[in-house]
Amino acid sequence: MSLLLPVVVFAPAIAAFLLLAIPDSQKAATRAVSLLGATISLLGSIKVALDYDRSAGGLQMGYDLPLLPTLGIHLNLAVDGWGASLLLLTGIIIFAAVLASFTVARRDKEFFIYLLVLVSGVFGVFVAQDLLIFFLLYEIAVLPMYLLIGIWGSSNKVAEDGPFRYVWSLLDVGGREYAAMKLTLMLLMGSAAILVGIFWLYLEAGATSFDLAELARHEYAEPTQLIVFPLFWLGFGTLAGVFPFHTWSPDGHASAPTAVSMLHAGVLMKLGAFGVMRVGMVLLPEGTHAWAPIVGAVAVINVVYGAFSAMSQKDLKYIVAYSSVSHMGVVMLGAATLDSTAWNGAVFQMFAHGVMTGLLFALVGLIYERSHTRIIATMGGFGSVMPVVALFFTLACLSSLGLPGTAGFVAEMMVFLGAWRVGHPIWAIAGIVGAFVTAVYVLRASRTIFWGPGPSEKFEHLHDAHGSELVAPIVLGAAIVVFGVWPRLILDLIDPSTSANLAVITRVIGGGQ
Amino acid sequence: MTLTTCLLLASALFSVGVYGLLTRQQLVAVLVSVELMANAANIVLVAFSHFTASPLGQVFTLFALAITVAEVAVGLALALLLYRTHASSRLDAAKEMNG
Amino acid sequence: MRSPLSEAPLAALVAVLAPALAALLLAVLPMVRRRGAPAAWICLASSVASLVSAGLLLAGQLGEAEPMAWTTSWLTLDGQGLGELGVNVDGISASMLVVVTIVALCVQVFSVSYMHDEPPDAYGRYFTYHALFLFSMNLLVLAPDLLQLFAGWELVGVTSYLLIGFYYRKPSAGRAALKAFWITKLADMGFILALAVLFTSTSAFRFDAELSTPLANVVAGLLFFAVVGKSAQFPLHIWLPDAMEGPTPVSALLHAATMVAAGVFLVVRADPIFAHAPDTREVMLVVGSLTALFAAGLATVQTDIKKVLAYSTCSQLGYMVAALGAGSTLGGYFHLTTHAFFKALLFLSAGSVIHAVHSNELADMGGLRKRMPLTATAFIVGSLALAGIPGTAGFFSKDLVLAALEGRMGWLPYVALMTTAFLTAFYMGRVVLVAFFGEARGKADHAHESGALMLGPLAVLAVLSLGVGYFGAHFAEVTATGEYHLHFGMTPAIASGLALGGFALAYAVFGGGRDASGVGVLALLDGAARSALVDRTYEALYRHGMLNAAAAIGWFDRYVMDGLVNLSGWLTLVAARSLRRLQSGFAPDYVFAVVLGALALAAWGYLS
Repeated sequence: MSLLLPVVVFAPAIAAFLLLAIPDSQKAATRAVSLLGATISLLGSIKVALDYDRSAGGLQMGYDLPLLPTLGIHLNLAVDGWGASLLLLTGIIIFAAVLASFTVARRDKEFFIYLLVLVSGVFGVFVAQDLLIFFLLYEIAVLPMYLLIGIWGSSNKVAEDGPFRYVWSLLDVGGREYAAMKLTLMLLMGSAAILVGIFWLYLEAGATSFDLAELARHEYAEPTQLIVFPLFWLGFGTLAGVFPFHTWSPDGHASAPTAVSMLHAGVLMKLGAFGVMRVGMVLLPEGTHAWAPIVGAVAVINVVYGAFSAMSQKDLKYIVAYSSVSHMGVVMLGAATLDSTAWNGAVFQMFAHGVMTGLLFALVGLIYERSHTRIIATMGGFGSVMPVVALFFTLACLSSLGLPGTAGFVAEMMVFLGAWRVGHPIWAIAGIVGAFVTAVYVLRASRTIFWGPGPSEKFEHLHDAHGSELVAPIVLGAAIVVFGVWPRLILDLIDPSTSANLAVITRVIGGGQ
Repeated sequence: MTLTTCLLLASALFSVGVYGLLTRQQLVAVLVSVELMANAANIVLVAFSHFTASPLGQVFTLFALAITVAEVAVGLALALLLYRTHASSRLDAAKEMNG
Repeated sequence: MRSPLSEAPLAALVAVLAPALAALLLAVLPMVRRRGAPAAWICLASSVASLVSAGLLLAGQLGEAEPMAWTTSWLTLDGQGLGELGVNVDGISASMLVVVTIVALCVQVFSVSYMHDEPPDAYGRYFTYHALFLFSMNLLVLAPDLLQLFAGWELVGVTSYLLIGFYYRKPSAGRAALKAFWITKLADMGFILALAVLFTSTSAFRFDAELSTPLANVVAGLLFFAVVGKSAQFPLHIWLPDAMEGPTPVSALLHAATMVAAGVFLVVRADPIFAHAPDTREVMLVVGSLTALFAAGLATVQTDIKKVLAYSTCSQLGYMVAALGAGSTLGGYFHLTTHAFFKALLFLSAGSVIHAVHSNELADMGGLRKRMPLTATAFIVGSLALAGIPGTAGFFSKDLVLAALEGRMGWLPYVALMTTAFLTAFYMGRVVLVAFFGEARGKADHAHESGALMLGPLAVLAVLSLGVGYFGAHFAEVTATGEYHLHFGMTPAIASGLALGGFALAYAVFGGGRDASGVGVLALLDGAARSALVDRTYEALYRHGMLNAAAAIGWFDRYVMDGLVNLSGWLTLVAARSLRRLQSGFAPDYVFAVVLGALALAAWGYLS
């Protein structure tokens, strides 16, 4: 029994526990302990990715602790290729996010505690093999968001005009409490659907435990498959930003503090997609088969609709948030094809989008800390005063529009290839159009912010990123390039799991697509 | 004396208690009504204990009596507090919780 | 295809990796980059390494060396590799590699002097981009399959974007960079779809995929759509004239000699697919001829020396595409090679002029022959080669192109390209006469000859523009693209005659120091109007189509989709507001409810 996974999963939680013992005034110690927890997880997740036996595949590095044996609930952790690559993503993002949070001034200790507890939940979801523990950790990953956004977030009430001003002011639209509440409520609605699905399957299978493998062995009746799959799809899908349940994302991401946006868009949205694929699709092959065309069609809407919505935004953070909706659409599109190429691409897209959007949010945070504005029309010529930020921003934009040599290309390319191969040319074309629209809006934003004659007087004093601020962009930027140039570093991890999981589905639906 | 008479007595007592509970506004009167209902339940317990020759009901009644004492103590303390804060021991004085 | 690293064509790897290393070094070491001069040295050193390797490879191919490749799989799928990453050395890639590295090195040496007045950090950035470009271009040229070629294709697109926007403080440069990137990206959607079709039918991305004719037509057609964007063919040519916002040496390297020719190179590379796609070739023939004629017409009315050359590039790329469409791979490819040299020469000499005059406008030039004799000579050599005067490189390659068109499609493309040859000579004659002859005007008074660092590359390119044409037979042999033989028939005679006629007309109109403002070719202004029309169409599509659609969808999302969410929140609040009256706050009410509930339960128990 390997202790590696529990260490990765619980190191942040233990760090959070230690923080309780540190007095509020010890700011340096708070940051040191938080960073230590994140670093241990990062190193651990790197070790998991390296140690994972790529030729053997399957679940590895198992750890099993019976929690409630009478109910068959085990703390059962094990990692497959998908999990390993997403652990690595989470490790990278939390490391960068903790660094990006060093500037949090108000009630910083509590901030780090919530952040670290949350990320323990995230790590756990990717390796939990017991569905109830999976769900528990999923909730742990979602709930602290309410406090993190509600307390540390920023309000950005966009001046509404026209008939909606009154209604909007009634609901406090744009306020951070509003955003936090909307996000939490929508995600909890999703959770409710998931919980119903889990118990439904447990009862129908007559299972003695919530073990994923045991539940997967049972063949569920057709009505069950048809009803429970959409529960999982929309339940997990809400977190993945599936249309029309995506509207928590722009407000939530825009209101959240930098590190929380990074984590939420970078990792949490992947929990949703991971849940749909790992739980929904693998447990319910027939339901998946029946629903796949709808899942794919909705994903197409996500891709194109998200991209166009992003284009119309005036607030930089909203642009990035809507781009996440669009890019998560690519993940769901890949998932819906039930094709190995596209599945590899979908999981790779989770990784690529995580790193890319993490970098974007980190940079937006840096820009906002300096200029105190997020409205791009008021910016301009920032490239002259902050060339390093401009460099990394451009890199992230290029990955976002799928430039070869960045991680985004491999992911999107494989999804499009797979979609075409299984006879969904419309999906592929829509995805490609989405990528083109992305090219239009990200470069347009980038040009408005960084290009043009030097900054206006108000922004002349802005300075470039320096010192510890540089660590997060460098780590994330390097990840974009390294995994873009040599994608096999994680594609080799993803591929065996894709084959194994896809085999479950094709066995049931008879290999047809 | 049959079980039925005992149960009838208990129901009568209980109904009186309910009536008092619903109509009285004085907190002390409400407390008395609640006591009546509790004792009605105790009578049922003792009656069944007697007619089924099982000591369990009586034991439980003794236990319930002890609890009732504590309950009355708390209830009277509440009544006192209500009088102090609202200058009245009528229940309609305390309506801060209305929606 | 696979061979161990020990047998790998190391020279090819050096050719790709040396610039990559230089770009990486300069990107991650800002302290070196911002000092300027060291960045130039690093970039030049990597280009020299690339050029030497390219030379060795070509020498090997000219000798009896076999084509060789070293590849490894880039992606993983179903436990196997997918997509080849590596280098593929054969006659086609080796010759293109030599062309690219020669021109690149010439341009970089030229830039050392040309960009000297830039601040050190901009100077360093410039050479970083150049290193990145050379890496991307070599990656494209040496690609063993279409996937890697696409990677290089997109990367050169990005370096083009960065270099057009090099003067990022200028709003017009920003606009031009975005326009170039978006238009080519639009066209690249065709490339991605071609890859998808190819992958679906062959599970690989090979150039020599065996495809049925309909399928080959689809793949080739989609690829050609990408070529139309990258090689600035009608109607996606509109980005190229705007791309002249970049520094002039960049225009020489990217937007004349190499990057825009990548589209033509793709067609040459994927010849086995195009050979099975007759319908696509017909389209290419039409588009190529149309572009050649149309762009040449526009070139005659430009007043900016770089714009003349830009439209001329479009026009010459049209020649190549037409030749490929007519099935003459050799003609298209050979014209690409000669064009790379003489167009780079023209752009660099124009750069030399611009450097001296500080203006792009022909109206600011004049009489420069006396002040800048060497630059003038170089420009004239380039013009002669471009016009296809017998003896220059352009003559030989144009001859191949025109010969291939004989009798095709009722001679229409042939006539179009012959007319283009005439127009080419006319507009080049015009530029030469207005800029270098006559009286010095405006800023041209203070012009003086450029230094050795700028003239050296001009000399090299001038020699190549004159001499490369004689090596057609070797070229045909090493690239194995067809049989080479010089035609001694009507075609070269007519072409030469028309070229001389063009010059003569130019002399008649502009000779003898007549003012440039008397252009007097009003008939062709019609073409300019049409160009504006094409531009306007895209502008309208972007502004009224895309931006309005985005605004509509954004509105829909905010007020309808999000409105539904807010509505449900609001309904909850309203419902709660009415329901909360149930909470009277009177304890007896609650007791009443309890009793009622107990009675209800009792009744339920009694009834059931």
